[in-house]
Amino acid sequence: MSTEVQLSVDLRSARGSKQNRRLRDQGFVPGNIYGHMDEPQAIMVKAEAIAPHVKAGVKVYDVTLDGKTSKTLLRELQFDALGIELTHFDLLRVDPTERVTLHVPVILKGIAPGSAGVLEQPLHSLHIDCLAYQIPDSIPVRINMLEIGQAIHVRDLELPEGMHAHHPPEAIVVHVVPVRSGDSAPADVAAGAQPEVVGKKTEDASKDK
Amino acid sequence: MALMPKRVKHRKEQRGRVKGNATRGNTVAFGDWGLQTLDTGHVKGTTIEACRVAATQYVRGEGKLYIRIFPNKPMTARPLETRMGTGKGEPDHWVAVVKPGKILFELAGVSEDAARDCFNRVAHKLPVRTRLVGRLPSV
Repeated sequence: MSTEVQLSVDLRSARGSKQNRRLRDQGFVPGNIYGHMDEPQAIMVKAEAIAPHVKAGVKVYDVTLDGKTSKTLLRELQFDALGIELTHFDLLRVDPTERVTLHVPVILKGIAPGSAGVLEQPLHSLHIDCLAYQIPDSIPVRINMLEIGQAIHVRDLELPEGMHAHHPPEAIVVHVVPVRSGDSAPADVAAGAQPEVVGKKTEDASKDK
Repeated sequence: MALMPKRVKHRKEQRGRVKGNATRGNTVAFGDWGLQTLDTGHVKGTTIEACRVAATQYVRGEGKLYIRIFPNKPMTARPLETRMGTGKGEPDHWVAVVKPGKILFELAGVSEDAARDCFNRVAHKLPVRTRLVGRLPSV
């Protein structure tokens, strides 16, 4: 079960980019809460109350608004251009017994013995659907037995009962590939060489005419 | 040798002005750790190659390096001790235009400490201020 955090939020009367910028200057993060046939509501919360939990990967929040507590799921996040500050968030009201879809990070456990290889992880997070009370913090994948050339696919993962991954079964989660010498080195180009110009006629072609 | 395009539409380009922050290529997408620029600037193809060599020598096959920028802008230069005039100079080198937030390099398969050490060596070769970043939380 995922970590749950108590979050006390306030209604937000300020709308629009200019007003929200002022809110952020005062240390608040604007957000929205919606779902379950209720009216969407504009909310705000102190940045220090939510940002550490968001960066820690918490997805389920028990939100208290006007004395009423509801279980919510983090649905959308916006950061500034440098990815430092949280600028906006969306929360979706959920019932613990309903199915939800979300991305859960894949955590690698152990050290792969393939010493002459490079561990590549094409899937850093899994898109899953499960019951709201079953949401895991992460999906651990053991890589202790992973030799060079071997891979762990989505079909090899032992997901909890009732959880379903929205990926093809043959999709690779993590694999160990042999090291290529001079990996990603650009092709050797003669000194002073210039790229070909599209549409430019060569001298020989113009002489032939 | 340094990176450069294979084919181009025009040999020379105007310099242009670089404004704003990066809106694309500003999150870690392939690896676990990224080197993010905090400044606007031009990174030469030769600089990217020097960074690649420094990073691959540090990780020594233990991790994978991803280069997220490409020098696709030609810069011209005039020969030394020549008078002004007689038109624009000849193409001299290629640069990648970077804006604040752009992820320049990524590393996969290494710890945070190793990535920090590796990117510290890389950052010494770059003409822009940088910082180490991880992946943003997924929702």
